[in-house]
Amino acid sequence: MKTPTEDHDLLRWLDGEMSAAEKAAFESRLASDPALKAEAELMQRLSADLRTHLPAEMPVPYADFFNSQIQVRLAQDENQQMPAPASEGWFAWLRLPWLAPAAAVLMVSLFVWQNGAPSGSADSVVHSIYVPSAAVQARSFHSAEANATVLMLEGLEEMPADRKIVGFNITRTEVDEAVAATTLFGTDGKAVAVMAKDARNQPLLLTSSTPRG
Amino acid sequence: MPAPTAPDPGEVLDIDLVKRSQAGDTRAFDMLVSRYRGRIYAMTYHMIQNETEAWDLAQEAFIKAWRALPRFKMDSAFYTWLYRITHNVVYDWLRKKKIQGDGEFDDSHTEHRVAAGAEAVPRGDAAPDVALKNAELGARIQQAIAKLSPEHKQVILLREVEGMAYEEIAATVPCSLGTVMSRLFYARKKLQELLKDCYENTD
Repeated sequence: MKTPTEDHDLLRWLDGEMSAAEKAAFESRLASDPALKAEAELMQRLSADLRTHLPAEMPVPYADFFNSQIQVRLAQDENQQMPAPASEGWFAWLRLPWLAPAAAVLMVSLFVWQNGAPSGSADSVVHSIYVPSAAVQARSFHSAEANATVLMLEGLEEMPADRKIVGFNITRTEVDEAVAATTLFGTDGKAVAVMAKDARNQPLLLTSSTPRG
Repeated sequence: MPAPTAPDPGEVLDIDLVKRSQAGDTRAFDMLVSRYRGRIYAMTYHMIQNETEAWDLAQEAFIKAWRALPRFKMDSAFYTWLYRITHNVVYDWLRKKKIQGDGEFDDSHTEHRVAAGAEAVPRGDAAPDVALKNAELGARIQQAIAKLSPEHKQVILLREVEGMAYEEIAATVPCSLGTVMSRLFYARKKLQELLKDCYENTD
């Protein structure tokens, strides 16, 4: 019966881990021990077969797709490391510094609505827009058919969370989280404007008007 | 471990691609992926013997390597470093699979066919009966490897497929030299036992 040392010797001989002197000594033992020699030969055959049938390199299925998927993941990693846009989420967006320019725009638009609409007309028309910040752009779109004017504000920055939304003739606001919109009510208790977001996450201001009595 | 195939003249060296990758050049990293994907995929395939999972794990290894690249000090060959990452990825996967109760490397693994394109038979124009015998032996070897525990499978693959010396295996696993030798010995004995009939009737 072999000793553990002999097992280790066989292993080290097989794997080429012996010094020249150790190898010579072990091979002389092999020559005089037929059982050890038979086992050594079997181990050698097994090693050779393992190397033959377990290639160190294999063709990767769909190799180009393999690479492109990795590139996609790397790009995703990079995107995740970038800071989240400040306007993420409705309430975060509401905290944007849109009050100053928006209030100004709102005031303008409401002023127009209150005073500029032709008698008997349900439309509100924006004649001019003033935005105090040069970084903010405001545009308006009017649709007589839809009986609505849309004001769009772009380039807004962060604002303190405790800033309240105010404006001339605005008495209160209501936030509807479900539809991510804030409604502004006038002095007569009726809704005069709705703020929401467009598909690009930009603020959208919808003003509505009712026939003035 | 045998050095990766020497680069062709004019081929960009690993070290240059690594430096560019560390600077955020994903195209350079893509070249490293192309260079080593075959070896990494072979390693993952031999360990788990499932083409789809091996493909995914090989990808995961490259992605982890990309994330770890800023910490790679180039104190070893890129492939050696990448291989260790791959080894950890596969080993974690095997551990999780074991915890999830998929069986202790059950025999179902042995039902997998050899991956398409795998070199299941030696190159050359062997006679049909010899080729068939070789293919059968290849399949039997895959089945036998699948029956080893992850620890034994790992050392036998590091030794026989990657050609690592004992010290390299010990550093990769990591474990002591004595553990490497005892695992190698046990793995070979177990393989002999599992493949006994293949060797009994041939000379």
